[in-house]
Amino acid sequence: MPIHDQGYRRYGGERAPHGRAWAVIASAGVRTMLRKRAFLGLLLLAWAPFFVRAVQIYAAANLPQAAFLAPTPEMFRDFLTQQNVFVFFIAVYAGSGLIASDRRANALQIYLSKPLLRVEYVFGKLAVLLVFLLAVTWVPAIVLLIVQVMFAGNFTFFVDNIFLFPAITLSAFIQTITVSVTMLALSSLSRSSRYVGVLYAGVIFFTQAMYGVLYEVTRDSGWSWVSFSANLSQVNAFIFRMRPAYDTPWPLSLLVLAAVIALSAVILERRVRGVEVVA
Amino acid sequence: MIITADHVSKWYGQVIGLNDVTLQVSPGITGLLGPNGAGKSTFMKLITGQLKPSKGTIHVLGEPIWRNPALYHRLGFCPEQDSFYERMTGLEWVAVLVRLNGVGETRANEMASRALEMVDLTSAAGKKIGAYSKGMRQRIKMAQALAHEPELLILDEPLAGMDPIARRRTIRMIKEWGRAGRSVVVSSHILHEIESMTSNILLINQGRILAEGNVHQIRDLIDEHPHTVHVKADETRALARALLVEDHVISLKFETDALVVQTARPDAFYARLTAIAASGDLGPIHEVTSPDDNLQAVFKYLVK
Amino acid sequence: MVTTTAARTAFFPSALRIFDLSLGQMLWSRRSIFLALVAGAPVLLAGVIRFADVVEPAALPEINGARLGGPALFGLMIWGLYIRFIVPVLGMFYGTSLIADEVDDKTITYLFVRPIPRGSVIFGKYLAYVVCTALLILPSVVVVYFLVVPIGGGSVGAEFPALAADLALLALGIAAYGALFGWVGARVKRPLVIGLVFVFGWEPGVLLFPGYLKRATVAYYLQGLVPHAMPDDSAVSMLMQVFQEIPTATLSVGALAAITLGAIWLAARAVEQREYVLEQ
Repeated sequence: MPIHDQGYRRYGGERAPHGRAWAVIASAGVRTMLRKRAFLGLLLLAWAPFFVRAVQIYAAANLPQAAFLAPTPEMFRDFLTQQNVFVFFIAVYAGSGLIASDRRANALQIYLSKPLLRVEYVFGKLAVLLVFLLAVTWVPAIVLLIVQVMFAGNFTFFVDNIFLFPAITLSAFIQTITVSVTMLALSSLSRSSRYVGVLYAGVIFFTQAMYGVLYEVTRDSGWSWVSFSANLSQVNAFIFRMRPAYDTPWPLSLLVLAAVIALSAVILERRVRGVEVVA
Repeated sequence: MIITADHVSKWYGQVIGLNDVTLQVSPGITGLLGPNGAGKSTFMKLITGQLKPSKGTIHVLGEPIWRNPALYHRLGFCPEQDSFYERMTGLEWVAVLVRLNGVGETRANEMASRALEMVDLTSAAGKKIGAYSKGMRQRIKMAQALAHEPELLILDEPLAGMDPIARRRTIRMIKEWGRAGRSVVVSSHILHEIESMTSNILLINQGRILAEGNVHQIRDLIDEHPHTVHVKADETRALARALLVEDHVISLKFETDALVVQTARPDAFYARLTAIAASGDLGPIHEVTSPDDNLQAVFKYLVK
Repeated sequence: MVTTTAARTAFFPSALRIFDLSLGQMLWSRRSIFLALVAGAPVLLAGVIRFADVVEPAALPEINGARLGGPALFGLMIWGLYIRFIVPVLGMFYGTSLIADEVDDKTITYLFVRPIPRGSVIFGKYLAYVVCTALLILPSVVVVYFLVVPIGGGSVGAEFPALAADLALLALGIAAYGALFGWVGARVKRPLVIGLVFVFGWEPGVLLFPGYLKRATVAYYLQGLVPHAMPDDSAVSMLMQVFQEIPTATLSVGALAAITLGAIWLAARAVEQREYVLEQ
C-alpha cells in the first residue's frame, strides 16, 4: 500500500489574478467594522432621516392635506446635506484607524511583504470607508427616489427630474471620495487613531472657522473656498442646479477639492511604506 | 513569604485568566513556568498591582499590593511588552523613572548609569531607545527594573529576544542577585531557561497552578508516573532479559543501540543497573540518561 | 544597597516629576506640529489682514459707514477662532490623550509600578498640557493682538486690559476643557467621539436655547468673561443674542474653577480605581 507524504505541500490550486488583493483588504475591513455593535448602531441611526423622509413622501402621495410635503429636487439635496453629520462621525469612527492602526501594530510591513502593490493596499482601505459612507449617502438617497416612485405609483416625478439620479450619484461620490481620501491620508500620518480623528475634525471645523472670520472681516462669501465643507456645498449646489450658498464660483470649489485629493494622494504615496527609519 | 496569594481568581469578562490560585512564594529565585496563555502575565500583573483580583487576596512583601504605591520602593518590575519612550536615550529614560522613586536628579543619573553598566549598555546610554536592537531593548527594560535596587524583582519573560551571550549574562546576573539576598520571580515559557536559573518553580497552565516547589520534589511526588531511563550498551538484548525479571520494571523498548526502560522505582532500578555494570557479565554499559528528571517531562506529565 | 524611604511619595512632588517628564515629551513631539499650526493659523490670518489694511485700506468693509476697527476684529478672532474652536479642540485632543496615549503605547506600566499615587500621573500630565498649550496659544494671541488692533486707528495701549482679560479667559478655558476631557479620557474607552459630540454638537446646540441646559457647558461660562461684543451676522449668532443669558464674571470664574478642579479630581480618582488591561 503506498504511503502518502504527510509533510508540507505547496498550494497547487487556482490563484486569483493579481490586482484583486484590494478586495480582500476591503472585505476584511468591512467585516471587522460590522462586528462592532456601537458602529452598527451609528449606521442604523444614520438611516433615521431616510425613514423620516420616506414617511414624508408617503404622506404627500396619499394624504391630500399633506400635499405641501411633496418631494422636490431640493429635498434630495437637503437630505444629502443632512447626512453630513453622519458622514463625519462614520469617517472618524471607521476611517481614523484604517492606516494608523496598521502603523501602530507594524502591520504595514506584513501587508507589503505580500504580493500586493501599495496602491492595492490603499484602494482596499479606501474601499472600506467608501462602502460605509455610500451606505449612508448614495444608497438611502437612491432608495428614497425609488420609494417616491413606489408611493406615487407613477414615474412622473422621476421623468420630470431625470437629472436627479445622476445628480445624487455624482454628488454622493464626490463627497465620499473627498472625505475618504482625506481621512485615509490623515490616518497615514500617525499611529494614533485618536490623533487622526482630531486632525480630521480640525480640517473640517477649523477651515470653517477661518472662513467665518474672513467673512466677518471682508463681508465677502467668496472666501468660502477656504472651508472644506463649504466647497462640498458649492459643488453640490451646482450639481443639483440650486442657488449656491456662497459667492465662490463652483469651478474654484471643485479645484480646491481636487487639490485636497491630490495632496492626500501625495501624502499616501510617501507614508505607505514598509519601513520607517528612526535616526 | 514574599508573595502570598489566597484563592485568587481573575477574569476578563467571560474569560478566566487565573482560577482559584493559592500559593506562597518564598525568598530566593522562583521560576514561573507555563505555556503561552497559561496565566503567567496575569499573575505577574496581579502581583505587581496593575490588576485587582476578581476574587481573593494578594500580599507582596507582607502588604496588599493593589493601590499601595509605597510598596514599589521595594519592588522592581520588568514587563513583557516592548514599549518605551522611543525618543529618549537609554540613560534619560532609566534616570527619569528612578526619579519617580523620590531620588534627586544627580543621584538618579548615577543609579541609572550603574544599572546600565550592570546590563552592559553603557556604550549605548546616549543612544535613542528607538534605535536599539531587540536585545538592547530587553536589557534597558531590565535596567529600569533594578536601578533603584529593589528587594524583589519581578521579571516577565526577561530573556525574550536576547542573543545567547546576553542571555547567559542575564541568567548569571539573576543568580547573583539571588545570592545577594534579593528575591526574584521570573516567568518564562522556555523550560531550560528557568532550569538554568533556579530549581524552585511554579508550574501554571490554563489559569491554574499545577505544582510548586523544587523540580526534583515535584518529580518525586509524581510517584505513579513511571521513570524512563535510556541505557546505551553493546548487549541490549541480554540486558533486557536481565532486567525483565525485576518487578519494578514496567516496560522495555529497543532503540538504536539503546534500551529504554520504564521503572516504577528508579532507586531500585539504578541499584540493579549498577550491579550489572560492575559485574561486567552483560558487556559494557556506555551511557545512562534519564529524560524524565527535568521540567519538560514534569510539565508534559502534569498537563496530560 | 541604596536605602530609599519606603514612605509613600507625596502627591504633588510626584505630579511635578511626571510634569517634568511629560512637558518635554509634549513640547518636542510631532503632535506639537499640529499645535503650532493651530496656533499659527490665526497669526497668519492676522498678518494677511494687516497687510491688506496697509496696502489697500479700502479693502476692508464698512458697516453703516464705519470700517470694522482693529479691536472689534481682534474680538472677533478671539471669539470665532480661539474660544469656539482652538481652545476646546486642544483641550479635547490633549485631555483625552493624557492617560490614553500611555495605555495605547503600553508605557503606562512603567509609571504605575513606581511609588507614586496613580492620580499624580494624570495630574502631572494635565499640568504639562496646560503649560504646553498656554505656552503656544497665549503668545499667538499676543501676536495677533499687535497685528490686528492698530487697524482702523485702534490703540494698543488702550485695549491692553481687554488683551489681559482675553489671556486670562483663554488660560481658564484651556484649564477647564483640559480637565474635563482628561476625566472623559480616564473614564471611557472612546473619549474622542464623546469629545467631538460635546464640542461640535452639544455646546453649540445647547447655547442656542434658553434654559438651564447651557450651564452644562464650559462655553457658557467662558462667554461671561469675554470682554468683546459677539458678532451678530449669522442666524445662529443672532439666535444666540436673542437667548443670551450671560453669567456674571464672578460666577463664570467660580464655575470654571469648579469644573477644572472637580474634573481633575474625578480623573485622578478614575485612574486610581481603574484597571488598565493592555492589549497583548
